[in-house]
Amino acid sequence: MSRTEKFLEMLPFSAATTRREFLKRSVIMGAMIPAAGTLLTACGGDDDDGGDTGDGEATSPPAQTTRQSVPTSSSGGGGQATAAASPEATEAEADEEDAEASPTTAAAATEPASSDGEPVQGGTVIMMGHHEIASLSPDDDGPTVHWVMTTNIHNGMVELDSYYVLQPVLCESWEVNDDGTQFTFVLREGVMFHDGEAFTAEDVKYTFEYYGDPANASIAASNFLSIEYPIETPDDTTVVINLKNPNASFMAYTASQFIVPQHHHSEVGETGYKANPIGTGPFKVKDYDPASFCELEAFDDHFRGRPNLDILRENIVPEASVRKIALESGEADTSVWALLTEDNIALRDSGEFATYITSSVAVNHFPMNNERPFFQDKVVRQAMMHAIDRDQIVDELWQGLAVKATANLSPALEFYYEPDVKQYEYDPELAMSMLDEAGWVVGSDGVREKDGVKLSWTCLVITGDQARRPEAEVVQQWMLAIGLDMKIEEAPSTSTAMQKGEADMALYNWTYGGGSGEPDASNTLRSDALNNFSHYKSPEMDRLLDAGLAETDPDARKEVYSQVQKLVAEDVPFLYIKFWDWFVFFNKRVKGLPEEPQNTQYYNEAYKWWVDDQA
Amino acid sequence: MTAYVIRRLLQGFFVVFVVSVVTFFIIQAGPGDPIEQMLGEGAQQMTEEDLDRIRDKWGLDDPWYEQYFSWVGNLAQGDMGISIVRVGQPVNDMIISAAPSTIKLNLFALLLSTTIAVPAGMFAALRRYSIFDSSIMVAASGGVAIPNFWAGLMLIVLLTGTLGWLPATGFDSWKHYIMPVTVLAITEMAVLARLMRGTMLEVLNQDYINTARSKGLAERTVVLRHAVRNALLPIITVIGYRSAFLLSGSVVIETIFSVPGLGRLFFQSITRADYQVVQGIVLAFTLLVVLTNIITDLLYAVIDPRIRLK
Repeated sequence: MSRTEKFLEMLPFSAATTRREFLKRSVIMGAMIPAAGTLLTACGGDDDDGGDTGDGEATSPPAQTTRQSVPTSSSGGGGQATAAASPEATEAEADEEDAEASPTTAAAATEPASSDGEPVQGGTVIMMGHHEIASLSPDDDGPTVHWVMTTNIHNGMVELDSYYVLQPVLCESWEVNDDGTQFTFVLREGVMFHDGEAFTAEDVKYTFEYYGDPANASIAASNFLSIEYPIETPDDTTVVINLKNPNASFMAYTASQFIVPQHHHSEVGETGYKANPIGTGPFKVKDYDPASFCELEAFDDHFRGRPNLDILRENIVPEASVRKIALESGEADTSVWALLTEDNIALRDSGEFATYITSSVAVNHFPMNNERPFFQDKVVRQAMMHAIDRDQIVDELWQGLAVKATANLSPALEFYYEPDVKQYEYDPELAMSMLDEAGWVVGSDGVREKDGVKLSWTCLVITGDQARRPEAEVVQQWMLAIGLDMKIEEAPSTSTAMQKGEADMALYNWTYGGGSGEPDASNTLRSDALNNFSHYKSPEMDRLLDAGLAETDPDARKEVYSQVQKLVAEDVPFLYIKFWDWFVFFNKRVKGLPEEPQNTQYYNEAYKWWVDDQA
Repeated sequence: MTAYVIRRLLQGFFVVFVVSVVTFFIIQAGPGDPIEQMLGEGAQQMTEEDLDRIRDKWGLDDPWYEQYFSWVGNLAQGDMGISIVRVGQPVNDMIISAAPSTIKLNLFALLLSTTIAVPAGMFAALRRYSIFDSSIMVAASGGVAIPNFWAGLMLIVLLTGTLGWLPATGFDSWKHYIMPVTVLAITEMAVLARLMRGTMLEVLNQDYINTARSKGLAERTVVLRHAVRNALLPIITVIGYRSAFLLSGSVVIETIFSVPGLGRLFFQSITRADYQVVQGIVLAFTLLVVLTNIITDLLYAVIDPRIRLK
C-alpha cells in the first residue's frame, strides 16, 4: 500500500476518512450564513429571533436555529460563497483553467457551467475507492467509500451541499419554534422509493425511531439522543419532532439522516438492508460485490427527474499509485480517496483534470496528557508552541498543501474562526527564557527539570504513518534544541491510548469543533469528554462549551466560541499544527460538476453529472 | 500407505489447531480497536454508553475466554463468525468469495513458472557455461532480486499507463490476469530455474547416468528418463514449499492489481483491525499450506519408488 494512503488509512479519524465525520467537520456556517441571508431575503425576512438584518449576509442565523421556510433548493449556493480557506488551495484552483469563475458566482453551481454545454442522457462514470464497500446502509456511511454510493441511493430530509449549505431535499421547508425545541417539516409530495412505493412521513418516523433506539445500537444513535419521542406525523407530508432541549446541531446531524423505507427495512432488517438498500435517491443498485465494486443505475422515477447518467460505478482500487494511473489512462473518472501527495501535485499541474482542493477542519495536532507532571505547567506547553516552526512544517514537509492552525478551529470555518488569539511565533530563544523563568533548568544530562520532574516523554506515532512520522521527528529536534527530551514510538492505535490516558503524547488529526459548521467541541474539550485526549480540565472551558450549546443566537454563539479559541490558545491543551488540504480529480469528460466547491459533498449531486466524450 | 496418509492428516490437523490458538491469542493481545474502525470518525460524536452498547452488540465486552470458546465452538461447526469492521458480513462468505481469485492467480502463476523454468533450468544445465546458460542465470538472479511490488507497478506504468493495452483496475476478464500472473510467476520462475539447473548438474554427475550412457542409451533417453526424473524430486518439494510464499506474494500483488482475493482481504483486514477476518484467513492459509505439503509428500512417494517402499 502506498505511503499517503497507508497513513490516511491508518489514522482512524483523519480529515476526510469518513463521511459522518466529514459532516461534522464541514463548515456550514462560513457559506451558509450568506445563503441563509439570501433565503431570508427571498422569504421576506420572516425571522424574528435571528440576526441583525442590517448586516444580513454576515449575521443571519444558521438554518438550524432559525425559524424559516425554504422555498426551493434552487436558491442554494449562496451569493457570497467564498473561496477555499487555504491560500494554497485558492492559488491552485486559480491555475486550473476550469476554475475561471469568480468566487461570487458560486450560486451558479446548481446550474451547469456554461462551458459544459447541454446535459445529455446516457453514459457511465467510474469512481475509485480504496477498500471494500462493506455496506450500503445509511448507518454505515461513515467511510467515504461507502458514502459515495449510499448518498446516491438515499436522500435525507435535508442534505449538506458542496458550499456548506443545508438544502431541503425530501422536505420542502421546515420551521422551528421560538425556543428551538420543535421542528416541523413539510415533506415533498410525489416522491417514490426504487420499488415504486410512495415516500411518506411514516418512513421518516420509522427511520428516526429505528436508528435512535438504543436497543438497535446503531452507529448514528447519538444523533437522535435529543429527540423527545414519539415523533408526530399528523399527515403523510408533515413530520413534527420535539427535542428535550435546544440542540444547535439538530438540523446538520439529525435532520440530514438518510431515510429508509419502512415497508422494506422492517422486513429485511438492518443486516439484510446493508446489501439490499431501497432509497429515494437518483440511482438504484444494479450489481454489487462488496470486495470489488458497486454499480448503480439511473432511477427513472426519481423525484428530481431521471439522472443524466445511466451508470454510476465505484471500483475498489486499493493502491493509490494505481488509482493515479487509472485516472491518467481514462480507465476511471475520479478517485474518492486520496492519491499520493506527489501525484496530487503532478495531476494538479498537468491541467488534464478538473481539480478540487478543499480544506479540512480536523486539526493536525499533538495531544498531550495534561495530567502528566511534565505537561501540567502551562508555561511548558506554551514554550513548546514557541519552539515549533509550524510554517516550516506546512511549507516544507507538506509542500504548502495545508494551512497553519491558530487554535482548535479551522480558518475554513469562516463565521466562527477567531484569528485574534494568542500567537506563538517560532522563537526558541523566547521558549528557553520562558522555561528558565518558570524554574525549569537544564540538568546534567541536558534535559530541563524542576523539583525532580524531568521534561522527558514519549510521543506515539501511528505505525507505518510515513507522512506524519517526519513531522514528529522534526518536532523532536526542536524540543531537543530547548532542552526537552521527546522520544518517539510507533503504535497502531494512538487515539485510544490517549483516550485511556495510557500515553504521554501522540500525533494525529482530530476535529475539535467545526463539523457541519458546528463549532461545539464538547466531545473533545469538556473535562469529562470521552475524547478529551489531552485530559484537559478547565472549569472555564466547560462553562463556555455549555453556554455555546444553550445559546441560539449566532452572534452570541460566535462570541462564545471566540472565547473558546482564545482559551485554547492561552492554555495550549495540545500542540496545534495545521489543517490539511484534500484533493479530488475528475476526468474532464465528466460535466455538470460544481464550480469552486468548498467541500467534497458534491458526490450527492451525481444526478446532475453527464459525460461528454468529446471533451 | 493409508496409515501414512492418516498420520499426515492427523499431524496436519494438530498444526492447524495450534495455529488457531496462537492466532487468537496474538490478536487478543494486540492493540487496535475494531469498533473504532467500523465507526470511522463516527466515534467522535459518541458517548461512552453508545460505545458500550455497540461493543455489547458485537460481543466485544465478553471476557477473552468466553470469546475464545465461542469462536472455537463456532469454528468446530465450520463457522468463522462475522466481521465487525465490515458490519456483520460472515467471514466464511468473505473467504469463500475471495478464495477463487487467489487460487486461480496462483495456479496460473505456478503453471507458467514451472513450464518455463523447468525446461530452462534443464537446458542451462545441459549447455553449462554456454551463452544460453549465462543468460538464463542472469535473468534468474534478476528475477529473484526484483521486488514484486516494484515489478507490478512498472508493468502497470508500461502496459496500462504508456501503452494502454491492459486494464489496471477491475477483475472480470482474462486481460486482468496477465499482469498479476506474470509478476507472481517471475520470482518463482527464477527460483525454480536456478534450482532445476543445480539439481540437473548434480544428477548428471551421478554414476547411474554414466551407467546409462555406457549402456549405449540415446542421450535423449538418458536425460529424460534418468536425469530429469530424478532432478524433479527436489523441484516438487520446493514447489510445495513455495506455494506458501506464493500466497504471501498474493498480498502485495492483489493489492496492487485490485484483485478481490484472499491476499488483499488479509492485508486490508490487518490494517483495519478486522480480527475475525484475520483469524479466518490465517486458518485458511494454514490449511492450504498443510494440505499442499501433504500432497507434495504423497506426490514424492508416487515419483520416487524408494520412498514408496518405506
